[in-house]
Amino acid sequence: MIKVEIRGLCKSFGKHEVLKGIDCDIETGEVVCVIGPSGSGKSTFLRCINCLEQPTSGTIKVDGHIMDENAKNIDELREDVGMVFQQFNLFPHLSVLKNITIAPVLRKKMSEDEAKKVAMELLARVGLADKADAMPRSLSGGQKQRVAIARALAMRPGLMLFDEPTSALDPEMVGEVLDVMRQLAEEGMTMVCVTHEMGFARQVADRVIFVDGGVIAEEGTPSEVFGNPKSQRLKDFLNAVAEA
Amino acid sequence: MSFFELLIQSLPLLMQGLALTLELAAVSLLIAMVIGIAASLMGMSKNPILRAINRAFVAIIRGTPLLVQGFFIYFGITGILGIRMTAFTAGVIALSLNAGGYMSEIFRGGIQAVDPGQTEAARSLGLSKRQTTWRIVIPQAIRICIPSVVNQWCITIKDTSIISVLGFAELTKIGQQIIARTFRSFEVWIMVGVLYFIVIYLLTVLARIVERKVSLD
Repeated sequence: MIKVEIRGLCKSFGKHEVLKGIDCDIETGEVVCVIGPSGSGKSTFLRCINCLEQPTSGTIKVDGHIMDENAKNIDELREDVGMVFQQFNLFPHLSVLKNITIAPVLRKKMSEDEAKKVAMELLARVGLADKADAMPRSLSGGQKQRVAIARALAMRPGLMLFDEPTSALDPEMVGEVLDVMRQLAEEGMTMVCVTHEMGFARQVADRVIFVDGGVIAEEGTPSEVFGNPKSQRLKDFLNAVAEA
Repeated sequence: MSFFELLIQSLPLLMQGLALTLELAAVSLLIAMVIGIAASLMGMSKNPILRAINRAFVAIIRGTPLLVQGFFIYFGITGILGIRMTAFTAGVIALSLNAGGYMSEIFRGGIQAVDPGQTEAARSLGLSKRQTTWRIVIPQAIRICIPSVVNQWCITIKDTSIISVLGFAELTKIGQQIIARTFRSFEVWIMVGVLYFIVIYLLTVLARIVERKVSLD
C-alpha cells in the first residue's frame, strides 16, 4: 500500500529554487533514508511532506489526502505524520510528561489520565520513565531527542519524519537515539529519515534516496547505493563522507 | 524646624500625593497593557492596514514627548471637541496611550523572539494555529517580556510626575506645594525622591521573584 505519493514537487524560496521536481512513492512500513550534501534540499523535501513548507508546485498525498497548508483539515492530516527535529524543539515551559500529553489531550480529546498512561508507556519504551516530571532543560541532548520521539509517537502516527535527528547531538549520545529509531523501524513504522548516519542508513533503510541539486539523483537499496553507486556525484559524496 | 519635624509634618500630605501617583499609574498601566496587547496583535496581523495603523501609532508615541501628548489631549482635544475632562482623566489617557505604544513593541518583540521551531513542533503534532499561539507561543513570550514590561512600569510610574503639570496633586506636585510654604527644597526633594525610589524598588524586587519562579533556564 502506498503511504506517501509525491508528484512533481517543486519548492522555491524567493528566486532560489530548492526542489526542482521530485517524484517519489513511499510504501506503508517502508524505511527510507534521505542522504545528500548540505543545501541539496533534503530537509526541505522532508518538511514539504507534512506541509511545514508549502510546495510551490506539485502534490503530496498521505493516505490519498492532499497535504496543503490551506486545507481545512490540515491539522487532522498532520496528526498522522509525526516529526522529529534536529533541534528537538521540546516545549521548554512544559514538563516531559506534558510535552507528550499536550497533543493527545488537545487533539484526540483524551483524558489527562489516559494520555498520561500512554505517555508513561512511551517513556518506558525510550528508556526515560524516571524523567516524566523533569523539565526539558535538565535533560541531555540524547534524552531530549528520545522525549521528542515519544512526543511524536503519542499521536499514534502512521508515518514518522526524522530531520537529521542526531546532527545536534554529542557523539556519545547518537547511539541511544538511533537505537530507538531502529526499534521503531523493526516494529514496522513507516519512516523517512534525513540523516548523515550512513551506518544507520545502510543497516536500517529499505531504500536510500540520494538528493542533490534539488532532485533525486539516485536511489536504491542500501547495498545498491552504498555498494555500487552509479553516478559520479554520489561516488564523490560517499567518498567525502567516508573521509570525514 | 528640624528635618524630622519637617518629615513628620509633611509625610501625611506626601502620602496623599503618593496615593494619587499610584492610582494614576495603576489605572494607566492596566489600560496600557490592554492597548499594548491589542496594538501588538495589529502589528503582527496579516492585514496591511492594521499593521500600518500600529506602525503610525507607535511612531507618534515614540516621536513626541509625553508632555506634548498630555497637553494635546487635555487642551487640544477638549478645545476642538468642546468637551470637558478632568486633569486626572487626561493624565490617564496620555499615560496609557504612551505606555501602550511602548508595550505593543515589547509584546511584539517577545512573541517574535520565541523560536519558530516551537511553532513547527506544535503544528507538526496537529495543534491548530490558535492552540499553538495560546498553549506554546504566548507562555514563552510572557517570560521573555517580563523584564521589559517591568521596566516600562517603572518608567510610567515616574512619568506621572511629568503629567502632573496638567494640574493634579500627585507626589511631585505636593512636594512643590510643601516647598512653596517651607522653603526647604533640599529636604523635601529628598523625601519625594525616596518615596518614588521605595515604590519602584519594591516593584523590581517583586518582579525578580516572579521572574525567577517562572524562569526556564
